[in-house]
Amino acid sequence: MFNTVKKIIKYPRVTGDYPNKPLDSSLFIGKPEIDLSKCNRCGECLSRCPSNAIVMDKTSNNIGINYDECIFCALCEDVCQSEAVKMTNSFELAEKDKNKLRMNTLVIEEKNISDPDYEIICSDLKANIKKIFGRSLQIREVDSGSCNGCDTEINALNNPFNDIERLGISFVPSPRHADMLLVTGTAVRNMQNALIKAYNATPDPKIVVAVGACACSGGIFKDAYATSNGIDSIVPVDVYVPGCPPRPQAIIYGILKALDRVR
Amino acid sequence: MDNIIESKNMILTKLNSKLSETFSEDIYRSVVDNTNELYLEANPEHILEICTYINTTLGYPLISMFANDEQSLCDKYAVYYVFADREQGILLIIKTLVDPNKMEIRSITKKVHAAALYEREINDLFGIVPVGHPNPKRLVFHSNWPQAEHPLRKDFDVKHKLDFAKEETDFQKVTGEGVYEIPVGPIHAGIIEPGHFRFSVVGEPIINLEAQLYYTHKGIEKMCEGQSIERCLYVAERISGDETFANSLTYCQAIEKIAKVKIPTRAEYTRVVFAELERLTNHLGDLGGLCLDAAYGFATFQFRMMKGWAYWIADELCGMRFLRSVNKLGGVRQDFILGKELKTIEELKKIKSELEDTVKIIKSNSMFIDRVENTGILQTKIATDLNAVGPSGRASGLCFDVRKSFPYEAYKQLEFNIPKHNNGDINCRMNTKIKECFESIYLMIQAIETMPSGKLLEPVKTFEPYQCAFGLTEAPRGENIHWIMTGENNTIFRYKIRTPSFCNWPALCHAVKGNIVPDFPIINKSFNLSYAGNDL
Ligand code: SF4
Repeated sequence: MFNTVKKIIKYPRVTGDYPNKPLDSSLFIGKPEIDLSKCNRCGECLSRCPSNAIVMDKTSNNIGINYDECIFCALCEDVCQSEAVKMTNSFELAEKDKNKLRMNTLVIEEKNISDPDYEIICSDLKANIKKIFGRSLQIREVDSGSCNGCDTEINALNNPFNDIERLGISFVPSPRHADMLLVTGTAVRNMQNALIKAYNATPDPKIVVAVGACACSGGIFKDAYATSNGIDSIVPVDVYVPGCPPRPQAIIYGILKALDRVR
Repeated sequence: MDNIIESKNMILTKLNSKLSETFSEDIYRSVVDNTNELYLEANPEHILEICTYINTTLGYPLISMFANDEQSLCDKYAVYYVFADREQGILLIIKTLVDPNKMEIRSITKKVHAAALYEREINDLFGIVPVGHPNPKRLVFHSNWPQAEHPLRKDFDVKHKLDFAKEETDFQKVTGEGVYEIPVGPIHAGIIEPGHFRFSVVGEPIINLEAQLYYTHKGIEKMCEGQSIERCLYVAERISGDETFANSLTYCQAIEKIAKVKIPTRAEYTRVVFAELERLTNHLGDLGGLCLDAAYGFATFQFRMMKGWAYWIADELCGMRFLRSVNKLGGVRQDFILGKELKTIEELKKIKSELEDTVKIIKSNSMFIDRVENTGILQTKIATDLNAVGPSGRASGLCFDVRKSFPYEAYKQLEFNIPKHNNGDINCRMNTKIKECFESIYLMIQAIETMPSGKLLEPVKTFEPYQCAFGLTEAPRGENIHWIMTGENNTIFRYKIRTPSFCNWPALCHAVKGNIVPDFPIINKSFNLSYAGNDL
């Protein structure tokens, strides 16, 4: 007992103050950026990108990265002969509009899977959603077929360094108690049904956040017999958090973005 | 080095002649590959006798088993049975051919129990029926998958999305007075991966547990076929997030064997540092989870804090918390350690002293120890039969470790001990992990201190087609095996992944029997298996 108390006194507070104080990200590997003035359009990175995230527009000769598909592996930086690609350390990448993350735009089909009764109430409430949740939020995490990297990072939100409860956010065991679904993974065949059920069990109004490249676009696992290209082919998504996996702070940023608590 | 090759060669020659004598008619061909892999082609009619002999008489455990569609090479399917001699560090692979017009093999499960799941897996993925299997249920696919489709056959298009079939899943039924079932999952209450558990219970004690896994099945093995060898490294890193480095290392090891390159010594040491860092991080996380499930908040946060420190080291060394993009084929991406030696060692020592203090505190907490002692016992016999690996195996008396039995990278030059316990309960698994944390820290410090300078990458560009090799490493959860066969134009022809979780899931189902339902979470945590690594 004495030793326990001693430890508690020794480490009174290790929690960081992100997002109020910016994080020292000098060591991080964040999103890659292409310096168009240096790039000679050789297409090497394009053909070697493991998740086919780099695209070139033949007519305008423009090259760019779809960050929803990027797995942040730094291979493009290594293979670029003209040193045009650089891994930056920016990690706050979450966006509400998927096309803001993309170079070539994508049309996302509207999905209608929820009960029609709720639909009407839902649309009224959506406008007030931020007011309603105010500063507190209950989250249910759903793994729809991840590699468990993203889940480990979501778990890390509860560790003493991030302690997400200080922001009034907590994780709940049931979707029925949740305001937000935090979905990881590519919505694989065997989880699609469970994901839809969890979505419908979450009371309206609700927010869905797609965490990680898999959930945003299928990431490295897209186009296979048992995977889908992003969870937005199954349920509507409000915020996309790119990364493979996104760091805990990047997930916090995404959650707060969904609530409009950060710009 | 030459000595080792020679001595291995001798062992293999002896083994080969012994088997050829015993089964003279039934062994057609033998090939030695990559110094320690002996491939024997055997008569499918007598596969049961051969495997039983190897497993029981020679005492080699079955460590992997898989099929391969080799119709483009020899008009047949092939099934490989992989046995290991862990004392001498050799692999014995029995290969049999299956006629595409008669997709059957004789099941060896009744004699070699560890084959049970592999045979069901092969049945699902290839449609090769194990005749005589005691429980030939589907494994990989759920009832939504059409019966006649087998994705690992070469004529199945990887992008082909099948319609959902509607069938009922049947679970093992336990009947009798007062028996009831508790279904749990696939989505669990905590932040963990999906899987369905069916408990059959009388009162409180669990009589039977059936785990329906493969909810996160993505088709990784199929996805890699025909892809470039470079790209598949990144897929391998994403087999199981928390074992990123172990999987990429196993993949690199197999590919480097095929390319016949020896990676620079500094890269070998660097890999040891990262592999041990991953082990430390995972074990600290497991210990934290264990305390959380015993509602021991203080200890949970201590371990989580230490795990956070381990992540800081990762960030400082390579900028990636999950050690992704560290490995490259032929070495490591850059010199991650140079100039950071002192700082890293200092941080490691900090974790070590904190861990010592915390362990002292939790071990003096009799309420906690009472909870973990004699709970969730995995008996040695069952562990042996199922080939339980890693810390869970070592806690049940199976004292082997790939780092010792098949030494790779720089482990031969470094000093470390393997913990051994016999009771097989949560307490033993916990103690094994605690001990391994200290060993990992010790290994990392040794590796950083003795690391020679030099280059880090021996580039490998082209690969011979249709060569195969095993990668064998000790992941944080235990023995990790990848088998790779290259295709034309530097692609993958077949990639078989067997993670430690695959072996340990059935062991978990046995360990919970007789325990009460509320103890299941803590037993589960003490194994801490990966769903993604199992489901692929
Ligand atoms: S986005 Fe990356 S880390 Fe997250 S689940 Fe997918 S592969 Fe794993």
